[in-house]
Amino acid sequence: MKISNELKVGITIVVAITIFIFGVRYFEDLPLFQTTYSLTAEFDNAAGLIAGNLVRVHGVSVGSVNAVGISDETGKVEVQFHVDRKIIVTEGSYAVVSGIDALGAVRMDLFLGPRDAAPIPEGGLVGAGEGNDLFGDLTARAPAMVQKFDDVLSGLDQVLSETGTMLSEPNSDLRSSLASVRGSVAQLERLLTEERTRISSILRNVEDATGSIKTLSAENGPSVTKLISDLSVTMATLDKELISLGDASRGLTELLNKINEGQGTLGKLVNDPSMYHKMDSTLTGINALLADFKANPGKYLGEMKLVDLF
Amino acid sequence: MISVQNLYKSFGGKSVLNGIDLEIMEGETLAIIGRSGSGKSVLMKHIIGLLQPDSGKITVDGTDINSVSYADLRRIRQNFGVLFQGGALFDSMSSFDNVAFPLRTFTTMSEKEIENVVLGCLNMVELPGVGTKMPAELSGGMQKRVALARAVALKPRYILYDEPTSGLDPETSNTIDELIQNLADQLNVTSIVVTHDMHSVLNIADKAALVHEGRIHWAGTIDELHRSDDQILRSFVKANEYLIGK
Amino acid sequence: MLQYAKNLLFDPIQALGRYSQLLFKAFGAVPEFNTYRKNLWEQMIHVGIDSMPIVMLAAAFSGAVTTVQTSYQLVSPLIPKSIIGSIVVPSMVLELGAVVTGFILAGRVGARIAAELGTMRVTEQIDALEAMGLNSIGYLIVPRVLAGIVMFPVLYVAACFVGIGGGMLVGHFGGFVPMGVFVDGAREFFQPFDPIFGLIKCLVFGFIITSVSCFKGYYTRGGAEGVGKATTEAAVASCVLLLFADLILAATLL
Repeated sequence: MKISNELKVGITIVVAITIFIFGVRYFEDLPLFQTTYSLTAEFDNAAGLIAGNLVRVHGVSVGSVNAVGISDETGKVEVQFHVDRKIIVTEGSYAVVSGIDALGAVRMDLFLGPRDAAPIPEGGLVGAGEGNDLFGDLTARAPAMVQKFDDVLSGLDQVLSETGTMLSEPNSDLRSSLASVRGSVAQLERLLTEERTRISSILRNVEDATGSIKTLSAENGPSVTKLISDLSVTMATLDKELISLGDASRGLTELLNKINEGQGTLGKLVNDPSMYHKMDSTLTGINALLADFKANPGKYLGEMKLVDLF
Repeated sequence: MISVQNLYKSFGGKSVLNGIDLEIMEGETLAIIGRSGSGKSVLMKHIIGLLQPDSGKITVDGTDINSVSYADLRRIRQNFGVLFQGGALFDSMSSFDNVAFPLRTFTTMSEKEIENVVLGCLNMVELPGVGTKMPAELSGGMQKRVALARAVALKPRYILYDEPTSGLDPETSNTIDELIQNLADQLNVTSIVVTHDMHSVLNIADKAALVHEGRIHWAGTIDELHRSDDQILRSFVKANEYLIGK
Repeated sequence: MLQYAKNLLFDPIQALGRYSQLLFKAFGAVPEFNTYRKNLWEQMIHVGIDSMPIVMLAAAFSGAVTTVQTSYQLVSPLIPKSIIGSIVVPSMVLELGAVVTGFILAGRVGARIAAELGTMRVTEQIDALEAMGLNSIGYLIVPRVLAGIVMFPVLYVAACFVGIGGGMLVGHFGGFVPMGVFVDGAREFFQPFDPIFGLIKCLVFGFIITSVSCFKGYYTRGGAEGVGKATTEAAVASCVLLLFADLILAATLL
């Protein structure tokens, strides 16, 4: 049978159209025969997410982004995406934009809700989760970091006030204790002066870092602002602690002066070796603590180091 | 009736037609003669509107062919059959399809009826059985005869011949002349033959018109041509007779 | 000298004018479907289906070469292999599929059209058509241009299909990049507009190649030499205009 020209042309065109449609769907990552399971997510910030970026669950790509736009109603970023039908996106699932825009490798990670929850219907809204990218990470951890730092300082304060309380007990071996107490105090004062400059240099570093963070990414403005405010709270606390440290040492000096003048029950202190030993070990502990703090301030300011990294 | 009035045409500043006036009456055979390059073919192409005049008027049956729409012009052209110099057969089609082409394009005839007409036309030009041949397989004379069959397939009222016998051997020339004469007699068509072959003019034409320097230098019947003592006409006829060897 | 400058300036403008006049007449003839119906199918075969093998061959090789060269140029271990797919597929879809097909068609179809129409012009076949009362532009040019517009996108689809396939196969069996990784990379950066843009480009290219070649052929003068000249000019003009159109489209639509 001779195939007519019309038929040949017709068949060719139909084949071409078929290949075109299926080809586009294939590379768009839409299933060839199955209908798609599409969903929407809303973000404050798309962080460079564009149509075609992958959607991943536990690092496995299960779909891609169809469209990214700003919603007219909410003014938020509306991301339309689709996933394989096999993936059951339940209530409680949330989406996170991750990856680094500058490298062009932005993607959307989908964290599935509990398996027994009701599935989100076709076209439904998936919540936005806290970003786990570099800045998101930092912002999320800043309060905890500040808390830890606070703990360290109040611990130090406690130690010092305990020392003060102990010293106000007049029955101790003055002659032997005094020199070491004096030495300790001097050492403490020197240390504080030293650490003051050090702390202010850390502060400067923090300021530099925040400055570069600001210029680095205006997009992360809100979280950086939060970080900075947290940091200044920390600094205020630190300052307060230093003042009380100063108070404590002033009190200590006063006390020692009083003892020096022969007031109180000095004999008792001398005759009570257990008290002496207790105090001695406490002072040795402080000494060790301060020495350690001086030698290795990083250990105590360890959390600050993270900021220093910038 | 075809009438040409005061026709001017120039190509790229070189004037070819300088005020041609010509009338062709119903049923007559007019030979337009003249030297090569005198503008005979250009004149013929104006008559069917293939070329637009710079100025002047051409009317076919009273209609000015340069002022009508393209669609109307094409309708007027369907009254014409044209035999071009080289035959101008469509070389992508067989001889049969060439002759059938105008029938298929312009009539609603069935394929069977078309076949009858085509075979009739091919018989008329004495080329039965070349239907399946492609134009490239035919000799120049045969191509011209197939082209003639194609020109008459639609039974036109006017037939224009552009150098129908040029480049052909005397025998084939005679055959073509006879065909032209037969067509004129049998179908009562009006014929315009553009030629420089005086032999064929004397054979077929009722009237002749000599184009010289872009004008109709002389026009008249064949009898008048024989008797004329016009210098240019005489020298043209003489040169031809000498060439033909009479 | 003055004459030369005048020609240099006026000839292209005059040609453009004649070209647009021809196109105008051709558009006017489009509704006369019966005039060119039969020719349309024939031209679709000539332009489209007969060009299929050479277009596919060229596309397969350009896809394969792009894959090999891209993997050759990507030496950094930081860049994932899937980038090869991300580069080859858009290259094919956006540029190579259309341009390779375009150049082949400019040479193959453009030259053929110009030679065909040129010969018809110098042997008075076009005059014969006109003298019969047929619209020669409708009969000869409209089906060729329409065939170009319709079949070029078809050839483009074939070129992309074979080109990407060729790139994938060579990448896989040549050990440059496994097929799955290639596809992942292609998907990651796939823009649905890319193939649409490719199609738009093809419509334009198909129109340019066929219409310019028809123009050159239809207005051929000067016998066999004229036909030769028209053929060469048609192929060259098609290629040059195609490149310009490529740039203009990329600048305006991307």
